[in-house]
Amino acid sequence: MNLAALLRRRLRALFRRSAVEREMTNELAFHFELEKQERMRAGASSAEAHRAAIHAFGGVDHVKEAYRDARGTRPLENLIQDLRYGVRILRRNPLFAAAAVTALGLALGAALAVFNVVNGVLLRPLPYRDPERINIIWLAWRWDDGNVSQLPLSSGSYSDIERDSRSFDAMAAFRAWPYAIAESPDAEREAVAGARVTPALFDVLGVSPVVGRAFTRAEAVPGGPNVALISHDLWQRKFGGSRDIIGKRIYLGDAPFTLTGVMPPGFAFPRGAELPAPFQFGTRTDVWTPLVFESSDVSNYGVQNLVAVGKLSERCGTGRCSASAAQAELTTVLRRNIPLNDQPKSAYKLVSMAEQAAARVRRPLLILLGAVAFVLAIAAANVTSLVIGRVHARERELAVRSALGAARGRLARQLVTENLVLCLLGMAVGLTLAFWGTKVVLLLVPGSLPRADDVGFDWRVLSVAGLLALIAALGFGVAAAYAARLRFTRAAVSVSRTRRVLVMTEVALSLILLIGAALLTRSFISLQQVRPGFDPSNALTARVTIPLVGRPQPLVDGARWSATFDHIIARLASAPGIVAAGGVVTLPLSGAFENGGVRPVGKVYENGRNPSAQVQIVAGDYFGAARIRLVAGRVFDASDDQSGRASMIVNRKFAREHFGSEADALGREVTALFEWARDRPPRVIVGVVDDVKTVSLDGDAPPQVYVPLSQLPAYALTLVVRVSGADPLAALPLVRQTVHEVHSSATLKEIRTFESVVADSLAPQRFNMTLIATFAVLALVLAFVGLYGVLALMVAQRRREIGVRLALGATPATVVRALLGEGLRVVAVGVTIGLAGALAVTRVLSSMLYGVSTTDGSVFAGAAAFVGLVAVLATWIPARRASQVDPRTALTAE
Amino acid sequence: MTPQDRSRDVVQGTLDMLVLKALSLTPMHGWGITNRIGQITKGVLTVNPGSLYPALERLQDRGWITADWDTTENGRNAKYYSLTAAGRRRLGTETESWRRMAAAIEAVLRTT
Repeated sequence: MNLAALLRRRLRALFRRSAVEREMTNELAFHFELEKQERMRAGASSAEAHRAAIHAFGGVDHVKEAYRDARGTRPLENLIQDLRYGVRILRRNPLFAAAAVTALGLALGAALAVFNVVNGVLLRPLPYRDPERINIIWLAWRWDDGNVSQLPLSSGSYSDIERDSRSFDAMAAFRAWPYAIAESPDAEREAVAGARVTPALFDVLGVSPVVGRAFTRAEAVPGGPNVALISHDLWQRKFGGSRDIIGKRIYLGDAPFTLTGVMPPGFAFPRGAELPAPFQFGTRTDVWTPLVFESSDVSNYGVQNLVAVGKLSERCGTGRCSASAAQAELTTVLRRNIPLNDQPKSAYKLVSMAEQAAARVRRPLLILLGAVAFVLAIAAANVTSLVIGRVHARERELAVRSALGAARGRLARQLVTENLVLCLLGMAVGLTLAFWGTKVVLLLVPGSLPRADDVGFDWRVLSVAGLLALIAALGFGVAAAYAARLRFTRAAVSVSRTRRVLVMTEVALSLILLIGAALLTRSFISLQQVRPGFDPSNALTARVTIPLVGRPQPLVDGARWSATFDHIIARLASAPGIVAAGGVVTLPLSGAFENGGVRPVGKVYENGRNPSAQVQIVAGDYFGAARIRLVAGRVFDASDDQSGRASMIVNRKFAREHFGSEADALGREVTALFEWARDRPPRVIVGVVDDVKTVSLDGDAPPQVYVPLSQLPAYALTLVVRVSGADPLAALPLVRQTVHEVHSSATLKEIRTFESVVADSLAPQRFNMTLIATFAVLALVLAFVGLYGVLALMVAQRRREIGVRLALGATPATVVRALLGEGLRVVAVGVTIGLAGALAVTRVLSSMLYGVSTTDGSVFAGAAAFVGLVAVLATWIPARRASQVDPRTALTAE
Repeated sequence: MTPQDRSRDVVQGTLDMLVLKALSLTPMHGWGITNRIGQITKGVLTVNPGSLYPALERLQDRGWITADWDTTENGRNAKYYSLTAAGRRRLGTETESWRRMAAAIEAVLRTT
């Protein structure tokens, strides 16, 4: 007999139990009958034969039990029996079942939703081949102040390492490239996130197109054909998933491209949230075109705009390839190629792709996981308390079963199994809630959570769910068994003491969570009150991109770009309902920013110090549209055009840092190292404006310099349009029409009010605050229910005593006071422990707080007072009910 | 009921071999097996139902015997056990190892 047959026998024994039992009874009866006939044949009377047969047989029930044991399904049968019994017990106590399943379900739902996100973002391997070997290659640059930045690579340094390094199986470079796609030259263009990538990218990631082919190295050469790959999503959306499109022409901007293939579903590398924001990759990349190096690029070390990614070889020489060995090798390559005096400042740094994605969010996510663990602990304490309460109510049943010969171990197993039913129900509710909860959590951070696409239920989440349910069942069962034993042996004191300790824990844990939530909320409110240096109200922002053919050539096309934007802005500014219109290349708080080197003329800096500033390229009346205050001098005007004197506006910080005061900066000259053209004359400072928070609301504004777009052209600009009406979005049709009329193939995207740009910049903070506050509320509700439950039971147990007291002349007020006192003692201890715990724990939040200390007195006091109030309420309700006890019924009851 | 009870009459381990041997000639029902073992050993070895039926279950689990309902010559329904090919092979190896063991013990007993 094989395994399948054995399984069939077992399953039959389990599920056709009555048939199997009947067969057994028949078989044994037949055996008994033959045994008896045998005796009668030997001459015994029927009665004698019967007796003798029974003797020989050894007791039918005895045999049957042995027979059943041999079926090998006994433990499972017991389990099923216990499960059935557990379900029956729960159905008989719907209130208890509902309370316990709700508490468990809510807490498990929250915990699993958070774990699901943590799993997708931090634990799951990336959806590429051998993801652990894929590394991003940065140039680590040590600044004068000792800080180290991870910088992108120049085409020169990338070409060097690609040619010389032996540590990688494959290496590729890529950069963001906004595209406007259309199926025909006159069809309307749709702005899509694109990337220019070297063909080896698909080897590095181990991903190939599902339809068609990837572009080849032969195609990624100067003068090569225009070829493109698109994402599966775009293929479905734009081309209806038609295979005919492969090899056909599509239009990116105004240029025709041949579509060589479609990437697999879900493939969207690079995904914006996984790389630093200034690179401006889209949330999901939809179009890939070859990144082509001209012969001049190979020796260009000046423009650092490439992200490099490499797949480490499995073996280097004799050993495994390690990131540090590869780093050392790359740095040797670097030393051969860069100017000597910059050498100590730079080295290569490898960051695994998973780490690159996770690093920014690991801490907040782990804090969330910790917070949700608190909720889980509170729910567990709550249900344990309920379960112990149930044991108390079932004292009689358990005593009877014990007296009837149920072994203690068997009873304990029964209690564990009953709780397993409870926990499985809780887990089912929890998984359902987690399924929806995860969606809600992801909606809170659209586009800014790295690897959001990788979040989804998998075996890890399911096993954690199962494990939690099992641990909980075991814990509750053991607690119940322990409580039952205590009840048989000692007084009820220990049991109610256990419950009191549990409630104390709940109060303490929920207070810690509440304090955490309050700190984050306070911090969020302070952040919202931060003055960013501009006025985000009543302004619309939209990014306009002029489609490019080939690479951007500002020296050739710059005047055309600048004229286009000037035209758009001038027409908008004169339209009715528009107060001011301007534009900026990197909109403040949008995640994008650019830095550039600056050399104030006539100033001497200590050896090796390279001052830099944030560069803002602006057009039209940007300062008026964004309401950035002019402190000294003037704003840009028509005289700052291409033929005019090269000018610059600086912020107060820059003025003070380099020239001592705002007034002293006016008229001074600064050499900008970020000019498109070489050997430009220094720029003269014509104005000083207020500091603007561009990177984040909680950081200080860096030194900033503004340059007019007419003198430093760009092909993409974010319009800022200040309107007179209340709703900036009402101006959208006008903006859209104006842009389209001025340049028919220019695309408009990221259309938002300036206020929502600011609000979106707080998305991570809002995410943390919302989740932790949700958990705190959940915790508080659970603690409230727990406290109420304990007090209510205490009152129920002492009905008689209270009745006696009332009969002996105690007033209801004294009874309430006495019970309140008992409840509040528990609460007071819980609050004290909670405050101490919070003092120790809130430190982990320090990097996430703005404008509030981790031990803020008013937050601690407020939260403690609130928890105290809730606790008093939870105590007062049952206490008051107790005082209304009628002494006569209380004394006669039971 | 504990497992020790099963080996009250027949040495544990030999019961399986005896049952396989009894079934090696013809399929038999439970009582038939008891009876046959009793006859062959002239009542020296008795197999009580409390040991026999669990053993039959065990042997089925291992695939050495199969069970089918059939009618007896008296027209009654009875569960007949029969040897499988695997059971026959097993009987062979058991018999052989038993013989070796018996010979070894015999040898030990003879030398003193």
